[in-house]
Amino acid sequence: MNRDFYLDLAAKGIGMPIGTHLILHEHQDHAAIVQDGYRLGQVVEEAARRFRMPLAFPLMDLRLEKEALLLARGVAPDSVDGYHFAEIPIEEGRFLLTKTMGAVCGAIRHIAENTELIPIGMSIGPFSLMTKLIADPIAPVYLAGTGATRDDDTEVALVEQLLKLALFTIRSYLDAQIEAGAKAIILCEPAANTVYFSPKQLAVSYGVFDRYVMRNNLLLRDQLHRRGVDLIFHDCGELLDGMVQRFASLDPAIISLGSSRLLWEDAALVSKSTVLYGNLPTKQFYSDSLMSEERVRQLSEELICRMREVGHPFVLGSECDILSVPGSERAIMAKVEAFLRTARSKDL
Amino acid sequence: MNELHPLTKAIIDGRRKEVPNLVKQCLADGEMAGDIVEKLLVPGMALVGDRFKRNEVFVPEMLMAARAMKEALNILEPSLVAAGVKPEHTAVIGTVEGDLHDIGKNLVAMMWKGANIEVIDLGVNVAPAKFIEAVRLHKPRLVGLSSLLTTTMPAMRTTVKAIRDAGLSVGICVGGAPITHEFAKEIGADGFAIDAGGAVDAAMALLQRKD
Repeated sequence: MNRDFYLDLAAKGIGMPIGTHLILHEHQDHAAIVQDGYRLGQVVEEAARRFRMPLAFPLMDLRLEKEALLLARGVAPDSVDGYHFAEIPIEEGRFLLTKTMGAVCGAIRHIAENTELIPIGMSIGPFSLMTKLIADPIAPVYLAGTGATRDDDTEVALVEQLLKLALFTIRSYLDAQIEAGAKAIILCEPAANTVYFSPKQLAVSYGVFDRYVMRNNLLLRDQLHRRGVDLIFHDCGELLDGMVQRFASLDPAIISLGSSRLLWEDAALVSKSTVLYGNLPTKQFYSDSLMSEERVRQLSEELICRMREVGHPFVLGSECDILSVPGSERAIMAKVEAFLRTARSKDL
Repeated sequence: MNELHPLTKAIIDGRRKEVPNLVKQCLADGEMAGDIVEKLLVPGMALVGDRFKRNEVFVPEMLMAARAMKEALNILEPSLVAAGVKPEHTAVIGTVEGDLHDIGKNLVAMMWKGANIEVIDLGVNVAPAKFIEAVRLHKPRLVGLSSLLTTTMPAMRTTVKAIRDAGLSVGICVGGAPITHEFAKEIGADGFAIDAGGAVDAAMALLQRKD
């Protein structure tokens, strides 16, 4: 789409929660809905209408790609969650569109064919997927940062092979979502953060970050561009400025960051053609003592005013998917509504 | 400042491959296995924990140090068993039911081992009944509960309540990305650790309090 579409959204001063999970869990049979493309599409539509958003955000479930990668390699369905590769797998171009992925694509198709909303797809990023496939991903990434190669260290070799498998799976899933009608893709790399990459090591060189995170995300960005699909990049992890600069170099339409970042400072790191999105601490919305409605209003006002001061295109939103916490749904929804009211307020 | 022993320095720097020879050299020099743990390994991990709290090192460096320590303990284990040397304290740790994340829990387990606590790791997605069974079996002084997801915080509350309802006298320490001191208090936990570095302090405070 034309980049002006996103810049216009920012100029309108709307608020946009990624809140499909919250709406989904208002339905008693939510577990069945996520397996049914049409019904999931209705929930995605319901979330967009309830929050008055032109973008139909999908349900954020970053487990789907691991399941697809493992099922395609014969891992038993009940072993998927806890499965970790101990040995280097053979690189094979096998992709299985799982039932849940099929439902996601079905939901996108529903939005594309039956509504005026913009259908949005989603995928975990290759680095974050790799971290789910190995018991201890941190050590080999660190070793690679010290210069260890796949020939020196079997764990490094395992990580590099799994990155290839992850990239293949994600590429295939993106193609399926684009075929279904996605006009933009939210690419989530929450593990590309200071837990997995030592700031001490990155202070010397970003080599390992560039090889393990940026290289594959650039390939995905190019894949989207070739299909005329926009990139929305998301990382709610603890980040360094250098990481934000690198993500911004992907030239996403929107960049979504976690609440640990000060967006008005990040504005200097990001091109004005990229909308900054976020980053209210929605993970704390379940608790009134941690985050009251009044505090949500204050934070919203501060974000809006400060982003206006720096003059960067900005959409007020959540720092991640707003999860439904059993027993806290009303508290969470009240705060979502509070920030939406603040975003729409003409008094600011 | 005293010059650090080469083994302590290798632990701090996470130079795992150098550790076996350094441990063997210590044993060849007549050092007792228990003394190697107490005087060379535990202080090294304590120093790493301090540096982590001061933001001088980060999770990867801490993890590399913990791996080096594990390497040393693997070599020393037969000698420790033969000499009847056991860690003073035992802890049970796990990620609560419904949550499959283990990095934070693993780091805390490693740091606790580095502080010479025997750690029984129950893994991820651990049901309250499994915690209770482990406490009855291993009789730890400490239980660690981890949760990364906001959605699994209620499971942490349920687990604390189940352990209390079972009448087990054990200190419960909780932690994880969404967990706060207020939440820990609210659900009746005895301790809270904001990160893996702070987990050792929280554990020691509980272990000493129970003494």
